[in-house]
Amino acid sequence: MASVAELKAAIDVALQQIGDGQTAVQAAGEKLSEAQQTLAGALEGSGHETVEAAQASLTQASQELEDCLAATLVAVEQAQLYVSTL
Amino acid sequence: MSIIEDVGGQVRAATEEFPVALLGQALEKFGLAAERLRWVRQESANPMGVPELSAATEHAESAGYALRVAQEQLSAYLSAIGLGADGAPAPRPEQRAPRHDTPPAAGPTEVAPEPAEQVRMRRWWAVRVAELTGGREGADDEPDERVDDSQELLRRVVGGVRSGDRDRLRTELRRAPADVGLGMAALTPPLLRELAAELLGHPPRATDLGRLRGELDGRVRDLLPGLPPPVLETLLTRVCRMPPPRASGEPPHAADSAVTAGVATGLLLARLGRDLPATPPAGADRPAGSGQPTRTDQPTDTSRPTGTGQPSAGRAAGVGARPGGVAGQRSGGLPPRSGSPWRDAPTRRGSDG
Repeated sequence: MASVAELKAAIDVALQQIGDGQTAVQAAGEKLSEAQQTLAGALEGSGHETVEAAQASLTQASQELEDCLAATLVAVEQAQLYVSTL
Repeated sequence: MSIIEDVGGQVRAATEEFPVALLGQALEKFGLAAERLRWVRQESANPMGVPELSAATEHAESAGYALRVAQEQLSAYLSAIGLGADGAPAPRPEQRAPRHDTPPAAGPTEVAPEPAEQVRMRRWWAVRVAELTGGREGADDEPDERVDDSQELLRRVVGGVRSGDRDRLRTELRRAPADVGLGMAALTPPLLRELAAELLGHPPRATDLGRLRGELDGRVRDLLPGLPPPVLETLLTRVCRMPPPRASGEPPHAADSAVTAGVATGLLLARLGRDLPATPPAGADRPAGSGQPTRTDQPTDTSRPTGTGQPSAGRAAGVGARPGGVAGQRSGGLPPRSGSPWRDAPTRRGSDG
């Protein structure tokens, strides 16, 4: 049977993995922001509908990444709260 | 280089910078964390952050989908302005060129290579499946877009296992996109526990580990000769509600547990003479894959064990179906934000906050 120490260790590993994922999401957000700026400069003045749609998609992606990061923060808090009750 | 080619080059460069690989890394980490937390909370009513982590995974998947949509839209734009996706002028339609104006043949046309990052992202699943099944890497590893949900892939895997044909199993697995393949890991735990309970005559417990190992180990090894031994052991300990064996050596590959779980499900179904249930009707409460198995010779089986009721993760059945709001979204060109919200985004690591 698992001990409390093992439970805590397992959750700690999971938290570490979430942290690694957060780092990747944060880096993805930065790269995406840079790509958006590059595209905005290159495509400034274009009224082509695919350009507008692409920029909307990128904005959507950026928002999803922010939501993703926010959700992981809550997940970490929940897991840490549970650990504190063990 | 003309001005238009310069624009095309900038667009293409920006497109290549889309963080698809980083998102893949994040999804892999979240998947591992969710799997571990699910094991911890199997017997606990405390959600322990798992639902939030599932939501985070879905947001990350949606972001990846939006990036792919943007890539396609930009590619369409480049084509519309007369440039190929690689920034070079698009070849003119052949029928418009008078035969006598056709330039002399200058060798075979070179196809612009796919960015290495995208190739790696697309191929890692197929490469690992080849390693696990003891096959060679071949040209048949293009994802089959028809296999767009994990339940369908599991059905194909079960068929491959039942046939005992390792080549067929490898082919079915390698055709699937990586996210669909990984989704099997979320589908199978309740099925495996139910099937093991039926085989044993009682819910699996620690003392049953040896028997389950005896039932599965040899046949799993036949089908997956490249599988590291701890993977099956870890799977069986989960089925028996035991703590996983202590990790040693390299961490398991992300694909291993999903592939092993699919194969083990197929083996237990074959051992019990059962098959996977038909796809549940739309609107069913439980996601696809969490239904109980049905006996192939008994369409209506009232004797089967009750399910654990454990819901599958969000990635399970709808993996291939991405939110539809992005593709059709046309917001009139929302301007990119000037400042990056990511520079100071907080991250929380471990239990030290």
